[in-house]
Amino acid sequence: MIRMFDRSKRVRWLLVILIVASLAIVTIDYRSKGNGPFERIGHVALTILSPIQHGLVTIFRPVGNFFAGFTEVPSLRARVSTLQRQVAELRAGENTVAEIERENESLRKLLGIRDRYNLNTLAAQVIGVSPSNFERTVFIDRGSRAGVKKDMPVIAGDGLVGRVIRVGASTSEILLLIDRTSAVASRVVPSGETGLLEGDGSENTKLELFNPDAKLGVGDRVVTSGYDRGLYPPGIPIGTVVSAPPAQSNLSRVVTIQPYVDFSSLDYVLLIIGQTATSSPSPSGTVAP
Amino acid sequence: MIWKRTVLLFLLTITGLAFETSVFGRATLVGAKPELLLLMVVVLGMGEGPAFGATAGFVMGLSTDLVLQLPAGVSALTFTIIGYVVGRARAQVQSPGAWLPMVMVSIATFLGVLFYAAFNRVLGERFGALSVVRAAVLAAAYNCLLTPFVFPLVRALGARLRPRPSEVGL
Repeated sequence: MIRMFDRSKRVRWLLVILIVASLAIVTIDYRSKGNGPFERIGHVALTILSPIQHGLVTIFRPVGNFFAGFTEVPSLRARVSTLQRQVAELRAGENTVAEIERENESLRKLLGIRDRYNLNTLAAQVIGVSPSNFERTVFIDRGSRAGVKKDMPVIAGDGLVGRVIRVGASTSEILLLIDRTSAVASRVVPSGETGLLEGDGSENTKLELFNPDAKLGVGDRVVTSGYDRGLYPPGIPIGTVVSAPPAQSNLSRVVTIQPYVDFSSLDYVLLIIGQTATSSPSPSGTVAP
Repeated sequence: MIWKRTVLLFLLTITGLAFETSVFGRATLVGAKPELLLLMVVVLGMGEGPAFGATAGFVMGLSTDLVLQLPAGVSALTFTIIGYVVGRARAQVQSPGAWLPMVMVSIATFLGVLFYAAFNRVLGERFGALSVVRAAVLAAAYNCLLTPFVFPLVRALGARLRPRPSEVGL
C-alpha cells in the first residue's frame, strides 16, 4: 500500500517536472524569436527525417493520393472528370504511363513558367507536407547544399506557391501562400489595383485592396506586384478573384482569391534564384498562367 | 530496462513523424489532418500507464515541435498532459469494452487540439474559434478511424518492450 502511494507520488512529480520543462522550453523559444537552440536542433532532426520522408512518399504517394481523393468530398466533384480519365487509363493497364505523363505535364508547366518569366531557378521535389492543422507548409528535397536560402520565392507550373522559411542541409520548408502567416504584395489584372494577399488557412486567400473603390470583378487575375522588398518578382500568377463584395469600410476592401496552384497535389516546384535583366513581364501581367 | 523504452519511443516518434509529414500530410479528411503522434501517445498512456504516457507525450510532442518548427514546447506540454490524463482515466475503467480505445482517442484528440490552439492563442497566435473547433472535431474523427489500425500495433510494441516487474523494482 505504501509502495503504491509512493509510486503515485513519483508519477505526479514526473508530471510536474515534464510540465515545468515544457513551459521552460516555451519561454526560451518565445524569447529567442526563432533564433534559439531549438531552431538548430530542428534543422538536425529534419535532416535525419528527410530520407525516410522521401522513401515513404515514393512508396505511399499512390495510396495517399487515392485516400486524399476519397476523403476530400468537396473537391471530389471537381475531380470526377480527371478520375474518370484515370480509371480508363488504369483499365487499359496504362497506369504507369499515366503517372509519367502527369509528371511530364507538371515538369513541362514548370519549364514553361520559368522560360516565360526568364527566371533562374532550382527544381525541387515535394517530399512532405506539414501534418499540422494550423500550419500550411511543405518540405522539399533541396537544402543549403543545393544553394537554397531563406525567403527564396517558390513557384509551380500554375503560379506562386510561397517562400522558403527554413533551410536544412538537404531539405527545406516552404510556407504556402495559403498559410495564415503568409502575405504577398499583389496586383489585380487588368485594373492594376494593388493590395496585400493573405492566407487564412483555407484553400482560398484574401486580398486586401489598398483602394476600397477599386473596380474589379469575379474572374480578374491576380499577380505578384513585386513590392515586397524584391522578395517576389513582379508578374508571377497567383490566382483569380472568386468573390468581390463591396467595401465594408472606407479604408479597405477584401476580396477572395482562388490560387491557381492546387496545393493538395504539389509534386515539383521551382525555387527562384534570380531573374535575368530582360525578364520582367509586363506590369499588367498579361501573360496567363 | 530503460533502453527498451527509449528504443520504443525513438522508433514510434520517427515513424510517426515520417508518416505524418508524407502520407497523412496529403490524405486529409475534409481538409483536416490526423494527429498521429497524439494518437500514439493516447495508446501508450492507455497501455503503459500515466507515467509512461506523460513521458511519451513529452518526447513525441517536443519532437513534433522541433521537426515541424512549431512553437517549441506547446505540443510537448499538450501531449504530456494528454498522456498522463489518459493513463489515469484508463485506470478508472474496470471493464473496458472494445470501443474504449476509439472513444478515448476521440475525446483526447478533440481536447488536445483545443488545448494546443488555446495555448498558442495565449502566445499571440490568432486562430478563428470556429476553425479551431472544426479542426478539433475532424482530427478527432480522423484519429478515431485510424485507431483500429494503430492501436493494436502500438499496444503490441509497448507490451513487447515493457520492463519486467523485477526490472522496475516492484
